[in-house]
Amino acid sequence: MTSLGGSSSSSTEYTVRVPKNNSKKYSIMAFNSGDKVNCSTWTQASGTWTGKVMRRQARMERDMSNRRMYGGEETEEGAAGSEFGKKQREEARRKKFGIVTREFKVEDQPWILKINGKAGKRFKGQKKGGVTENASYYIFTQCPDGAFEAFPVNGWYNFVPQAKHRTLTAEEAEEEWGRRNKVVNHFSIMLQRRLREQERGPDDEDEEGEKGGKKKKKKKGARGGDLRIHDLEDDLELSSDESDSSREEGDNKPKKKESVAKGKGKKKKKKRGSDSEANEDSDDGDYEGLEVDYMSDESSSEEEAGEEKAKSNKEDGPKGIDEASDTEDESEEEKQNEEEGKEEEEEEEGKKTPVQMEKKKKRDSSGESDTSEDSDIDGEAASALFMVKKRTPPKRGGGRGSGGSSRTGSRPGTPSIDSASTSNTLRAAASKLEQGKRQVLGGSSDSPAAKRLKMEPGSTATTTQSPAPSGKSTPQPPSGKSTPSSSDVQLTEEAVRRYLIRKPMTTKDLLKKFQTKRTGLSSEQTVNVLAQILKRLNPERKNVNDKMHFYLTE
Amino acid sequence: MSEKGEVDLTGAKQNTGVWLVKVPKYLSQQWAKASGRGEVGKLRIGKNQGKAEVSFTLNEDLTMIDSLGDKPSGVRAPRDHPFTMQTVGGQTLAVFTETQSEPSKDKIALEGVVVQRAECRPAASDNYMKLKRLQIEELSKPLRLSQQLEKAVTTNYKPVANHYNNLEYERKKKEEGKRARADKQQVLDMLFSAFEKHQYYNIKDLVDITKQPVSYLKEILRDIGIYNIKGTHKNTWELKPEYRHYQGEEEAKEADD
Repeated sequence: MTSLGGSSSSSTEYTVRVPKNNSKKYSIMAFNSGDKVNCSTWTQASGTWTGKVMRRQARMERDMSNRRMYGGEETEEGAAGSEFGKKQREEARRKKFGIVTREFKVEDQPWILKINGKAGKRFKGQKKGGVTENASYYIFTQCPDGAFEAFPVNGWYNFVPQAKHRTLTAEEAEEEWGRRNKVVNHFSIMLQRRLREQERGPDDEDEEGEKGGKKKKKKKGARGGDLRIHDLEDDLELSSDESDSSREEGDNKPKKKESVAKGKGKKKKKKRGSDSEANEDSDDGDYEGLEVDYMSDESSSEEEAGEEKAKSNKEDGPKGIDEASDTEDESEEEKQNEEEGKEEEEEEEGKKTPVQMEKKKKRDSSGESDTSEDSDIDGEAASALFMVKKRTPPKRGGGRGSGGSSRTGSRPGTPSIDSASTSNTLRAAASKLEQGKRQVLGGSSDSPAAKRLKMEPGSTATTTQSPAPSGKSTPQPPSGKSTPSSSDVQLTEEAVRRYLIRKPMTTKDLLKKFQTKRTGLSSEQTVNVLAQILKRLNPERKNVNDKMHFYLTE
Repeated sequence: MSEKGEVDLTGAKQNTGVWLVKVPKYLSQQWAKASGRGEVGKLRIGKNQGKAEVSFTLNEDLTMIDSLGDKPSGVRAPRDHPFTMQTVGGQTLAVFTETQSEPSKDKIALEGVVVQRAECRPAASDNYMKLKRLQIEELSKPLRLSQQLEKAVTTNYKPVANHYNNLEYERKKKEEGKRARADKQQVLDMLFSAFEKHQYYNIKDLVDITKQPVSYLKEILRDIGIYNIKGTHKNTWELKPEYRHYQGEEEAKEADD
């Protein structure tokens, strides 16, 4: 080690050695800094003193789940069903057609790193390719004697944390995506999945009559009829997870089905060709002609949505404020407008099965006594509605009062198509409804707008109330939520007064404040009401920027 | 004693910091040629007005580059290599090693954490340019080359009365002789034992196994077996149901009932 002195720089020299005999192979473990991995914390002792303290808490092994893809699965072992020399024949055939299967190299398999035993974190390290191609990486370690030793890096593995929480499979994710506009309570998605699996677990293989039966049937049909590409390793991982036995059972079934489907695929292949044909190894195209239960996305998702909601309704689980308010909203709307009744029936059926809807309404309604009647009729209508593919509020041609048509206008986000036939049945149903239900169920006109679905009318400011804006609070005695305290959405004199006191505003500004979406009034109505209010208030005028501003001084 | 899969965490405990350095290919090749204890050069770390300057100097004896081909290259590797230091942010890099001291006993150890990343760059010099030029020349040569020959190639094969393989084959056949019909019982025993191993057999394979003439074998097979014309196992022989007792089949039968 020589040190050179210099005026503004000082440097020290170290020898660099590259040791020759290396039985150790160095690799890099790369974690994302966002995961906040601290290797030194892995060596903490475990809590229990069992005579030998568990100091070493990290285990790492190769993930061999891909082995069977390369090794080839032994579908039949033993004498039954096997042919003499089958393997050689298969191999010869593959060679003839130039199918080159890559070998299963243990070196390239990903690592599985487990910290702190079963309960701790898990990481999966995938090998990053191309690291040693153009440049070599070396690890420089400083030795006690001051010299540096350089070791070449053999491989680079990117470690990502593995989710321990449950995730949706690709199929389920697709369904949920289809319902993304409708579902507000996202917590219930995973909850339902868990319930579904629990149901699947303790039941036997041949339970078809279950609520989840339909879904499973679809899955079975889907598997047989349309082989989906799925991750083999997902299956393996799940089945090896002992923590959740019900999961295992649930996953054993998909595995069995998968193997059955595979077996089917193989048999078909053999039937089709002798060895002289170059048969496709992938069986994706085999099942195209097969019939499946139903192909359309919407209806299936609706059905399933119905089932899922059925399950959620079975238990008094997290309903979410939107769901709770839904019923109130719905019941309120029903009384106004037959179309509204229709539309929210459609919503209902999208979310609940008719039976459950009933129960739910019974349970939820807070101080609303007529729900039983409604739900009966709703049930009928909704069952008729089950066939509806797109659930949309029908275009209102007339209806009851101007409110109906104006209401449609006030809902920007709604899809617009509807079939005439359903509207007939809906109208019939809704008229019955109307007869049965006379009482005004106020309630929740002010439930937070944010929690509502887009499909729903913006608020429940009722049309009957619109001509009397000042008395907005008054017709709502039965419900306890009548105070418009949460949002300044109501077009009341109070609200306008508040605004004008605060700062001078133009009429345009005021209109903006009382957005039609939030107050539920149409633009015409808002204008009328606002005009009346202003007349009453008689604010002072001021010209700012060539615009007429109103203001009040208190 | 560590079990399989256990990671030896001594490096992590000590929090040993290491450097990850990216080194050009030619340099690592030169390093591989190092002799003795493996000294390859000197690393100079200096502080120049607050900034750390790191530079690596290659040993003199390691600068000779062997080029591909017969002629000596005459090119020497540059000696000076300043290091460009980089931060490790965005990724936490740890170093682990696998030791295979005994067969199938992988010992995995965590050596340390990377605290500094660096790139080893050659200082621009004439030597380096020549080296690069040499590399480019070598790489630009096509992998395959078409060459015209002056004379036709006549060294591959000559016409021969009878090929060596054929002679072998005929000799073997003669030696073996025609297949003799063994005792029917013996043949049956052979067949049954064969069918115990596999369910379906091709006639050719059976001939091979039993070493019987084909017609005789077929006679016997017609007694005890059936010939699959269609179905998954095409053109194969299998034992008649009353003769076979496979495990898998029985289970399947039970399940069906």
